[in-house]
Amino acid sequence: MTAKEIVAGIFCCIGTFFFILGTTGLLRMPDIFSRLHPSTKCDTLGACSVIVGMAVYSGWSWDLLKLIFIACFLLLSSATCGHAIGRSALRRDIPYWRRQDEGAKSGDGA
Amino acid sequence: MNWLSAVLGERILGTAKAFRRRGLLFVIMILFWIILTASLALHEMLLGAICSAAVAALTVSLLGRALDPHITPAVLLRLPLFMLRLIWEIVKANLDVARIILNPGLPIDPRIVEYRTYLPGDLPRTVFSDSITLTPGTVTVELRGDLLNVHCLCPYHEEGLAGLERLVAWLFGVRRDGEVRKGG
Repeated sequence: MTAKEIVAGIFCCIGTFFFILGTTGLLRMPDIFSRLHPSTKCDTLGACSVIVGMAVYSGWSWDLLKLIFIACFLLLSSATCGHAIGRSALRRDIPYWRRQDEGAKSGDGA
Repeated sequence: MNWLSAVLGERILGTAKAFRRRGLLFVIMILFWIILTASLALHEMLLGAICSAAVAALTVSLLGRALDPHITPAVLLRLPLFMLRLIWEIVKANLDVARIILNPGLPIDPRIVEYRTYLPGDLPRTVFSDSITLTPGTVTVELRGDLLNVHCLCPYHEEGLAGLERLVAWLFGVRRDGEVRKGG
């Protein structure tokens, strides 16, 4: 096991850890809008860490450039997708979850 | 004869502009081709050049405008630095949201806030709302004109929006009053 493999493995583990966190968040969040946050988190840091790990493993080669492109397209599609889900939920007038006690205490509705 | 020279001059200027835009598109296409084929062999390059030229020529004449006028060489030069800064913001926000998720009390107080941006044009606004969505804790749910509806997980996430906006303004060379800086 070389140092390169160890570093690549560490990055992949970090990515997997963030995927687990994202899934946990997806299950814990109360409504559709809040659930968008952990899912974008999964895509951004989780997938990007795995890609960084693979980039370290591949070293200076053409695959590195391809991986960078994969990361770019992944980020673009993830952001667009999250926005589309949120927008369609908003247009269907799905109410978003609010913390009840906070709103009653401060009294600033809307 | 004055109007004739004016029309001709405009025509030539427009053609030169379209040609330059086509050239930029061609360069981007062929760079993408080289990365995908992963070789610099002559026949590969020749095929790529033919395809890129055909796509560049066809796209400009079909769509009229293939590249947004906001994309200039200066913007492309600043893009890698912008992405590094954005990734740093994303990592910071990610750790913050991770702390919220792992907290047993789930300390969230979500709300949809309205944000009026001073960025002009579709592309800067799209980049801005995409950056907001990529940063965990904030998701752009609606973009209409210069008004963004942003869903924030916690009230303090809203404070990061102005910083992101400044970053996007820097990328496109936009000043605070909405004017695009010339030659920036």
